[in-house]
Amino acid sequence: MATVESADPVTPKRARCDAGHAIFRRARPLLGTLVEVRCEGVDSARAARACDAAFGEVAAIHRLMSFHEAGSDLDALHRACPGTPVRVDARTRDVLALAIRIASVSDGSFDPTVAAQQVAWGFLPRPASPWSPDPRADWRDIHLVGSDRVCLSRPLWIDLGGIAKGFAVDRAVEILLQAGAVQVCVNAGGDLRIAGERAELVFLHAHAGSDAGAVIELANAAVAGSSGSGSRRRIGSHLFGPHVHGKSRAPVSTQARVSVVAPTCIVADALTKVVLSGDDANSSRVLERFGAQGCIHDAGSKLLLLGVVA
Amino acid sequence: MNVRWLLPLVAAPVAQVAYAAQYMTIEQAQRAAFPDANAFAAIALDKAASGVPAAPPGWSPKVWQARAGERSLGWLLVDQVIGKSELITYAVAIDSRGALISVEVLEYRESHGGEIRLAGWRKQFVGKTAADAVELNKDIRNISGATLSCRHVTEGVQRLLLAGREILRRDGSEIPAHGNG
Repeated sequence: MATVESADPVTPKRARCDAGHAIFRRARPLLGTLVEVRCEGVDSARAARACDAAFGEVAAIHRLMSFHEAGSDLDALHRACPGTPVRVDARTRDVLALAIRIASVSDGSFDPTVAAQQVAWGFLPRPASPWSPDPRADWRDIHLVGSDRVCLSRPLWIDLGGIAKGFAVDRAVEILLQAGAVQVCVNAGGDLRIAGERAELVFLHAHAGSDAGAVIELANAAVAGSSGSGSRRRIGSHLFGPHVHGKSRAPVSTQARVSVVAPTCIVADALTKVVLSGDDANSSRVLERFGAQGCIHDAGSKLLLLGVVA
Repeated sequence: MNVRWLLPLVAAPVAQVAYAAQYMTIEQAQRAAFPDANAFAAIALDKAASGVPAAPPGWSPKVWQARAGERSLGWLLVDQVIGKSELITYAVAIDSRGALISVEVLEYRESHGGEIRLAGWRKQFVGKTAADAVELNKDIRNISGATLSCRHVTEGVQRLLLAGREILRRDGSEIPAHGNG
């Protein structure tokens, strides 16, 4: 059922950028998609340097948190003997800390250790790990040790694919703001964050290849989307999507597409997996805890809003 | 965080959902990759001799040699790839030894239209918050959910690197005697 509600209406404001400071946009192929950055309010030389730095940070996060690339922090964790603390980059630690927190608050609906199922179903390549995951292992077996180490208490594989892209967007936005930009948007293949006083319109695609959707107006907020329909695989007599319910370890429905709006893109990105897991009451509770709102487009392109305060 | 949902009663098809953006001109890409260059000479890429496997039909990247006086600084190669419904123009810069300097997207456009506009379909939206405060004709620059593919760009970059290697083998880092720039 579609509902129309208004939350905390915002008034579009004019950007406080000087007339001499044009909109500066750049795009590069990164993170398996096109990453677009846009900033306003700084001169073009400064904007160009800031965009270079932002793209560099996105590429660095990709190298650190790649599931299968040799030399990534996850590669080091997957190779290490369980029980051995492994030194990781501060950014990887921060992402794991938030992943654990969201797993805890969502009662395991989101769990970064579902890579075991994603490998088994062919959505991820088998990592260069001497271990096979312990079927009992879950997010509780990831331990942060001190400020720069991580220890796994059972053999398991971590995939940060559902969260690292959002983190990369957040870091890119922070770099552009630090460079003095007053209005910023970073869009990594549909996971995007807008910073600045001016509200902007964002079109939310209901389904890939469809022109149906919704429009939201955002200021200082992020939005991320997830859907399994584009990459389903037939395994036996069932269609499997790439998303796994963290607790039941069953594939989640590939019929729905979800969008989540949150203060940061990493939270929006991670919470799409909670909303996709299909327990709307639990999803609403988790969204509220993180100050987020969600939207589900079902197979018939009907809309359901979650966590939106009238 | 401020958010306002502007929802249609059902997710009705929007008349023209398409996206286009120009990020850089060729000249800007040249200057960004080779800030020390004082000339960019167009070079003919001999396709027959380029030795690039799996080049699609009609593949004809544009190539410029970046020069500082008599010295070659490297090359900028500009190419287009076509995905399912998008056309992406991108530039690859390589230095005088053939190493990759940068990959930049110059232009992205859906192959079937211009940018999304609210005007034509705002009447689909209901509720007092929907239409009145939305700036009519305001472009929607931001799209969530249509994951833009970069697989074709990645393949294209590989082809351009091979082409660059061929140019390097043919011309070395010398200024070609018969450059048509």
